[in-house]
Amino acid sequence: MNAMERHFSRRDFLGTLGVAGSGIVVSRWLAPDVAIAQEPGRGKAIETFTGPGANPHWNSVGSYVTEPQKVPLILLTDRPVQLETPRHYFRTAFTPNEAFYVRWHLESIPNAVDLKSWKLQIEGNVSKPLALSLLDLMNKFKPVSLAAVNQCSGNSRSRLQPRVAGAQWGNGAMGNAMWTGVRLRELLDIVGIKSGSLQVQFQGLETGQGPEGLGSNLFLKSLDLGNPVLDECVVAYLMNGEPLPMLNGFPVRLVVPGYFATYWTKCLTWIRVLDAPDENFWMKTGYRVPDTPRGNTTPEDVKAGKIRTVPIERFPVRSFIISPDGFSKIPAGMNITLRGIAFSGFGRVNFVQVSDDNGKTWMTAKLGEDHGAYSFRTWEASWTAKSPGRYSLAVRATDERGNTQPDEPVWNPGGYLWNRIERQEIVVGNAS
Amino acid sequence: MKNRVQAILLVMCSLVIATGVIYADLKKGYYAQAELGSIRQAAPVELLSDSNYQVSVYPVPALDLTPGDGLQDVQIYCNTCHSPRYITMQPPLTAATWEVEVNKMNKTFGAAIPDENTQKIIRYLQAHYTAESRKQ
Repeated sequence: MNAMERHFSRRDFLGTLGVAGSGIVVSRWLAPDVAIAQEPGRGKAIETFTGPGANPHWNSVGSYVTEPQKVPLILLTDRPVQLETPRHYFRTAFTPNEAFYVRWHLESIPNAVDLKSWKLQIEGNVSKPLALSLLDLMNKFKPVSLAAVNQCSGNSRSRLQPRVAGAQWGNGAMGNAMWTGVRLRELLDIVGIKSGSLQVQFQGLETGQGPEGLGSNLFLKSLDLGNPVLDECVVAYLMNGEPLPMLNGFPVRLVVPGYFATYWTKCLTWIRVLDAPDENFWMKTGYRVPDTPRGNTTPEDVKAGKIRTVPIERFPVRSFIISPDGFSKIPAGMNITLRGIAFSGFGRVNFVQVSDDNGKTWMTAKLGEDHGAYSFRTWEASWTAKSPGRYSLAVRATDERGNTQPDEPVWNPGGYLWNRIERQEIVVGNAS
Repeated sequence: MKNRVQAILLVMCSLVIATGVIYADLKKGYYAQAELGSIRQAAPVELLSDSNYQVSVYPVPALDLTPGDGLQDVQIYCNTCHSPRYITMQPPLTAATWEVEVNKMNKTFGAAIPDENTQKIIRYLQAHYTAESRKQ
């Protein structure tokens, strides 16, 4: 025992209280059902990696790192930067900008943007190409605001069994913000899209060291011109009423409500109308999912070449328990509040259920304020554990189209579309 | 009077005893050096009122890769396009998957790592980052 750990041991305590050692006290202390209190633990650090089993933690296991304009976030990779948002930042419907997760693909990302020279270029198969400054975007168009969840396609990838290569996200590769900017449709309307156009491509300021024409050189994403989501897209220059952090795409990023974040181009600088389908790596090879229910398949079917794939699009319905988080023991009989969030890329979440018996029985949670169909919706439920023990809490959301969360895992080689029912193990102790 | 004094004494004794019972398992005053340390706060940055919007460099924290044959090749070639943290971030992958991943860097992403060095990188990853071999 070193000097810093000096403390009154149980024995010392008994000694000092010797005079008070009446029968009642001693029998209470020595009764076999009284748990022997443990010495306080050392507060160990989390393991440095997980696998080959599933990551058992809510977040990924990286160290905290402080990046520019950010609070300490969980480091996945440093070059390019990939950071995960810790669980407790999801207690509110809107995720703070400084805690919002970060995911870049290529290593050259801007440290500075000069607004004197920066212009958003709208070009390609159009009759009147256009270059707009940030001031133009702010002054010449009517601003629109929309709450929308930005979720990485690979969010929760570390849950998959067998594990797949890629960024090993826990659940924190997501965030919700109030985005304000210009409707993409307005911009497309004024440039005069020529007939025969098929897609619109988005390019930001990130570049990589790879050769021209390959996915390691540019990150490009496209949407079909006939896709109705284009009417809902916003070129956003405000995030929760503030300029975007550089790592989240200053000066503007594309917002594609309900769609996975791969389409939400950061530092958006080129909007390009195409007259041929975009066949670059990030459309033709990357970010594709099996054309099966839930995008589910098996390693065997992939190996056998049986799987047809399509570009990933909308995210399925999900919900999370944010508190309790399992780090605190809860006294039996105490009425606590279970809290979390729910969202869906297919429409408003209008029903959330919670279970305290690992999903055998469900009770309806109370929903928080409705910030729009594409926002996080908070939920809460009042709950009392009657007796001590271990409880497996579970949460399940249903959206307005009737989509609900299954309890079966998903597997595909990209590690996408995970939306299984989430659980939180908690320990309830005696209150007396 | 005597009875009252006795009663008061009895109550006081009970309180002492009760306090002992209530706080029997109270733990206080444990401090120790532990694995969970501290991280420094970011200092405020100096901003100018011009049109340039700039942030500090993106930090690259120190990384411990397992020593072994091929480590130098990893540090030279993998590091060209991304930090080797892409390796340690992965779960333990199978030997076959590491081979696929490294070959993908050449074939799909045009890394142009010479054959000999490609093989050394694959062998290094297989020797230190599979379920059987991974230590850190």
